[in-house]
Amino acid sequence: MATTTATVSITSSDLTPGSALSVNASSTLMKAGLTTGLNQMESGVMDIPTSIEFRLGPLATQAGPVADDTHDIGSYLYICNKSTDNTYWVDWGIHETMMGRLYAGDWMFIPWNASDDNAEIEIEANTGTNNIEWAFFNSTVALPTAAS
Amino acid sequence: MALVPTLTISDSTTFSDVINFSVTDSLTTSAPSRSLSMEIVTTTGGDHVIVPSGTSIVYLFVRHTGTTDGTTGTAQLLDIEDTDNVAIARLGAGEWAFFPWHKAGADKGVQLQSASGNIQTEYAFWTKG
Repeated sequence: MATTTATVSITSSDLTPGSALSVNASSTLMKAGLTTGLNQMESGVMDIPTSIEFRLGPLATQAGPVADDTHDIGSYLYICNKSTDNTYWVDWGIHETMMGRLYAGDWMFIPWNASDDNAEIEIEANTGTNNIEWAFFNSTVALPTAAS
Repeated sequence: MALVPTLTISDSTTFSDVINFSVTDSLTTSAPSRSLSMEIVTTTGGDHVIVPSGTSIVYLFVRHTGTTDGTTGTAQLLDIEDTDNVAIARLGAGEWAFFPWHKAGADKGVQLQSASGNIQTEYAFWTKG
């Protein structure tokens, strides 16, 4: 069985005096709503110049290699800004809504679903040409319906 | 004050090439922060604002414990959204997320909302220094 594991460790020795921080969590990445592992992956590395919005991954209605294999599916998204200049950053967002900022060296990992063509992941560099590493882990199984 | 988050992703069975990589960052943080906390999240997001409205960059960790109360299991989905109810991510049981939250000057916070029933949730945040 496919077994993709994502583990996070968050530590600090000086954040709270007298109490070192050590948070650890691990998750086996499963097909949405199921207990079987993922079977698709898309990843890459790219340099992005400033002031241009780039889309990561497919649109929801974008067909895949299999007939009717569109991309309204549950995914796990990893992005890392591999730039080394601490003044460099990229903004990340969903469609036209900014959600966060990754400075040089920063990374993120979230579950994400391309629920429609207005839910794509976008990144945009604001200072210099940023080197971005990214990956999607997913399957062909659509997410179950959730509350609005 | 330095915060060191590390991500490791591994898979040796799915693809012809073994996936095994790790990234580590060193973040300078300042107040406000919230160390690891636990909350019983309901279907009303406004009752579970975990990051107060602000304009700073915030590093946020959220984990769905897979239970309603530490004991009873639940498979309900947990929404992470801003305080305008705009979806950011959705966690299944046992899943977690770590990301830098920032709304480009908009004075917004982050809240949690269960799709149905209660979900015991861990979270923490740290403001970029």
